Amino acid sequence: MSSGRNLYVVVAVIVAVGLFAAGLAVWQNSGSEEGWRFAGYIQRLGLVVPVCYVIGAVGVIWLGWCSLRLAGGITSIAAWLRRDKPAEIKPAGNAILNCLVEAINTAFESRTSRVAQLDGQVKDLQIQIQLSHRREKNTEAIIYSIRDAVIVVDEYDKLLTANEAAGRLLGFDYENAHHKPIDELVGADYGEFVDFLTQSKKSKGRATRREIELTKDEVPKTFDCVVSCVFDQRQQICGAAAVLHDITREKEVSQMKNDFVGHVSHELKTPLASITAYSEMLADGEADDEETRKEFYSVIQNQAKRLNRLIEDILNISRIESGLIKVSREPASLAMLIEEQLQMIKSYAEEKNIEVVGQKPIVFDQVRVDKDMISQVIVNLLSNAVKYTPAGGSVKIDTEVDEIARLARVNVTDTGVGIPEDEVEHVFEKFYRVGANKKQAKGTGLGLNLVKQIVEKFHDGRVFVTSKVGVGSTFGFELPLATGEPVVARASSP
Amino acid sequence: MTDKKVLVVDDEIHIVHVVAIKLRNNGYEVVTADNGAQAFELACKENPDIIVTDFQMPIMTGLELVEKLRGNEATKDVPVIMLTARSFAISKEQQEDLQISGCLSKPFSPRELLGNIEDILYQKELIADKG
Repeated sequence: MSSGRNLYVVVAVIVAVGLFAAGLAVWQNSGSEEGWRFAGYIQRLGLVVPVCYVIGAVGVIWLGWCSLRLAGGITSIAAWLRRDKPAEIKPAGNAILNCLVEAINTAFESRTSRVAQLDGQVKDLQIQIQLSHRREKNTEAIIYSIRDAVIVVDEYDKLLTANEAAGRLLGFDYENAHHKPIDELVGADYGEFVDFLTQSKKSKGRATRREIELTKDEVPKTFDCVVSCVFDQRQQICGAAAVLHDITREKEVSQMKNDFVGHVSHELKTPLASITAYSEMLADGEADDEETRKEFYSVIQNQAKRLNRLIEDILNISRIESGLIKVSREPASLAMLIEEQLQMIKSYAEEKNIEVVGQKPIVFDQVRVDKDMISQVIVNLLSNAVKYTPAGGSVKIDTEVDEIARLARVNVTDTGVGIPEDEVEHVFEKFYRVGANKKQAKGTGLGLNLVKQIVEKFHDGRVFVTSKVGVGSTFGFELPLATGEPVVARASSP
Repeated sequence: MTDKKVLVVDDEIHIVHVVAIKLRNNGYEVVTADNGAQAFELACKENPDIIVTDFQMPIMTGLELVEKLRGNEATKDVPVIMLTARSFAISKEQQEDLQISGCLSKPFSPRELLGNIEDILYQKELIADKG
């Protein structure tokens, strides 16, 4: 590098001396006294001047050649730099250019390495962005797929996200509601929810829970509302997420279970109360004569049977539902089964002054049934009819055979209180009791459900009911004749 | 022998029967009803000294009967004993508000019921004497 620089200095000095000599010659020719004197000195140097001229010319040529090489080198460097994917530059053979090339190569390597590093970082960031987008989409998809209403607000109570269930429940367009204040979105009808949401956020608790009553389409519903505060990295609250889970059905079921337990315990305790009281009376010698004592014994015996029936009912329902019950189907006459149960129900009906009318046995109503189960069905329908018929009324039971449809039908018709039209379809549901008739008689809401399960689940039959308030009801069931097909398959009407 | 009259109300005929026998055997006059509405009419008509009623009955429950009795001038002070198959059916507050003198859980002892009736009527007499 330094030798190159020295060469340049020598050439430059020679060119300068040559040019100086040429200048002096010109000056000498101008005719001034100082010019002659100086020219005299120069002439004494002999061939120095021409040599200097030659050297100067060679230097100029050499400089030109160097300039050309430099220009060529710079051009090739420029061309190389313009390439998309430049390979390493080969040394140009010129010290300056070599130096430049080395510097460029070093800088390029450094930049290439830096670019590669940055490129890697960019790719990482792109992947992270894609992952972030995917996570966001996944989170949104999860939120949107949740059946519960989900609402997320920021620290200023403006909506960040909400799912379709939330929009449907609280009445707003969930896709176009972002960044709108939640209280403006949901309206005054849902003020309790908004208050709970904002209060929970202010409380800075991790999660708060409350049961909230909301009316949707004029139907009151109960929601289990859980609000969780959302914290940022500095543990500052940056929003809140609310989840509203509809527990209306659970509440109803819970209420039904409570009612059922209440009814069952009442039903069980009533015969037990009689047994206890009459036993104590006998023990205390309160029954003066033999006739009274016999009456007391009879009451105890009957109440014990009643208690047993109740327990059987409850156990039957439980067994039927658990699928543990064993069904023994055999040929039987429905009319004969009815006749057997009529005797038992008549004594109960007489207590209430209700007439129970049977019919003459029909010879060909042979069905394949579990006799105990179908007897239970007949008893339940008859006792229900008596229970809901006022004193002086009547209950009629008959069978008919449909030879074309190959089925036998049993009808139990009463002159009882009847069932309101909107409740008829529910009477076979478990625990269901007709609201208007609850005070008419006690019950567990199990009897008709047991009838339905026995007939439809175990005998391929069908139950039906028609009723008119104040006139009476007809409950009944159809069973396939011993050689017939399942009644449910034909879905025939009574 | 006592001249006291007891109204016994229950839709369960056997319970009414056994309570009536127990009370009659011990010198009480007994009138009976099988639902709340009928009981209210009898209470107004017969003017009983004490009423023994079931809690859960058709047409009118025991509580509804007591509410109606308390709202009627002629029956507002008559003592009431409630028989109930549900132990927690009546709260202490309800019992105090409706001046229900006693609650017996089913199954109950006729002997215990008789004892309660005697105690309540004795207290009533003492209060009446002081008054």
